[in-house]
Amino acid sequence: MPSVSSLLRLSVVVAGAALALSFPMLAPNPYILSAGVVVASYAVLSTSWNFVGGFTGYISLGHGAYVGLGAYGTGLLIIKAGLPSFAALLLSAALVAALAVPIGIASLRVRGASFVIVSISLVLILLLIFQSWASFTGGSNGLVVPRPFPGLRRPDHHLVFFYLFCALLAVALLSWWVIDRSRFGMGLKAIREDEDKAQSLGTPTFAFKLLAFVASATFTALGGGLYALWFGDLDPVFQFSILTGAYMVLMALLGGVRHLFGPLLGALVVGSALEYFKVEYGSTQLHLVATGLLLAAVVLFMPDGVIPALSDVYNRLFRPRATSIREATAAELRSQEEVRG
Amino acid sequence: MTRRSVETVGLTKAFGGVVAVDDATVTFQDGKINALIGPNGSGKTTFFNCVTGMIKPDAGRAMYRGQDITGRSPHRIARAGIGRSFQLCRIFPRMTVLDNMLVAVRTTSLRAQLANSHNRSDLDRARGWLRRVGIDHLEGVEARNLSYGQQKLLELAGVLMGDPETIMLDEPAGGVNPALIERIAALVRQLNKEGRTFLIVEHNMDLVMSLSDHVVVFDRGRPIAAGPPPVIRADPRVLEAYLGV
Repeated sequence: MPSVSSLLRLSVVVAGAALALSFPMLAPNPYILSAGVVVASYAVLSTSWNFVGGFTGYISLGHGAYVGLGAYGTGLLIIKAGLPSFAALLLSAALVAALAVPIGIASLRVRGASFVIVSISLVLILLLIFQSWASFTGGSNGLVVPRPFPGLRRPDHHLVFFYLFCALLAVALLSWWVIDRSRFGMGLKAIREDEDKAQSLGTPTFAFKLLAFVASATFTALGGGLYALWFGDLDPVFQFSILTGAYMVLMALLGGVRHLFGPLLGALVVGSALEYFKVEYGSTQLHLVATGLLLAAVVLFMPDGVIPALSDVYNRLFRPRATSIREATAAELRSQEEVRG
Repeated sequence: MTRRSVETVGLTKAFGGVVAVDDATVTFQDGKINALIGPNGSGKTTFFNCVTGMIKPDAGRAMYRGQDITGRSPHRIARAGIGRSFQLCRIFPRMTVLDNMLVAVRTTSLRAQLANSHNRSDLDRARGWLRRVGIDHLEGVEARNLSYGQQKLLELAGVLMGDPETIMLDEPAGGVNPALIERIAALVRQLNKEGRTFLIVEHNMDLVMSLSDHVVVFDRGRPIAAGPPPVIRADPRVLEAYLGV
């Protein structure tokens, strides 16, 4: 029989999923619905980022590179190769996965701040390439991506893509969950804690990091490609933007990188705030200031994100006798008893 | 004749102008408790790091049971059967004691890698070792909340989880109270009786002399003496290295 806490967790997940899926029905107008699509796409991106950032602790500020590559790959495969939209999306993600192998081999050799710098440099290089190679990419004039469902009216178009992003998010979350509870995931988390120590215990750290990196890049590219199909217009300045990567980091950190739903929660907060700022102060750069302040606040006051901060508050209010030593949950105690038999 | 465990031929490693390990040719014996001693800065830890692949030697070779392991990456050397602990103790601070143990589980197939880490057989083995070193009651505690002595025991248990035939300990008694030193010593003796080879860097001379079968003495990056404890104790070169006369 499942324990109370796991039942509670399951019901929160089910309620959250139901709320998300009914969002298009609740949205008062197509604009809110389109904002929902943007937030869902952010949730996909930050969850994808967390495959490498959360597990291994390698902070990539340059994940915008894979968003852009996935988006342009999808667009170009449709336009230049005449592929059907979703075949182009999948092939584009596969190409990004293949490309992530050499990029990962090169960049995962350095740790900490050096890795951050390397990850940023990749976005900047790609931005220059996609801007300058205008004959192929459309350059700064942009690239118009044909819509996959030309007959669909605009609100229905948003509706379909909201569910597509939700489906992709579900796959990404499920994959993260599977890795989180696996032996592979244990190795990745050990890398985050002490990479050399993990290697001395027999963990093939480099191969592990590379696998997580490729998985992360692939999901990010799928998110970018789906965005291209939805938005239909690509510009290198927005596709290969440092900001995209920075948003992914901020969302994941805000929610909590050690938690399955941390990046998703962060995307809900930051994504909604960004959309709000664009509506209210669209002509200013105020949303950048707000983003910077939020990032500083998170790092200063909630380094582990909202989820642990909230559960700390919960523990203080409702479990006053909690000790400094982490208490075992009922499920853990039971499984111990089972083992001892 | 005893089988050879770790051996090096002409092993050399310099950091800038400082030659930490200088043309070291040493042999450690399989099935024995070997000790590596020497004054501070004599290159013991660098020697350890070269053998376990943490740093690449500039010259010379390292072998394990006749097999060349020079320049191999640390996880491959670990998988060849050499487990090691670190000076000043390294554990995964923000993981539970139990998860610290589960990191050391080794599998090769993708399917096994994606299996639940908290599976019955891995958990049983982890708890078995935790019980053996005496910290099984702490399995749900985050490792950073353990005392230093408990962290040392956890590190040892984690190394054992990988089931190594040879265990290299870098100062197992450093910073630990006398009662715990006794416990660690007893554990080493037991594990040695069960067939595990030890290679121990240690400054506690009483412990070294009572525990080990074979002692190698380093001075300025090279071995200056090797033999059983009584011989080493009487060796004038060793006294000179330690006292600087």
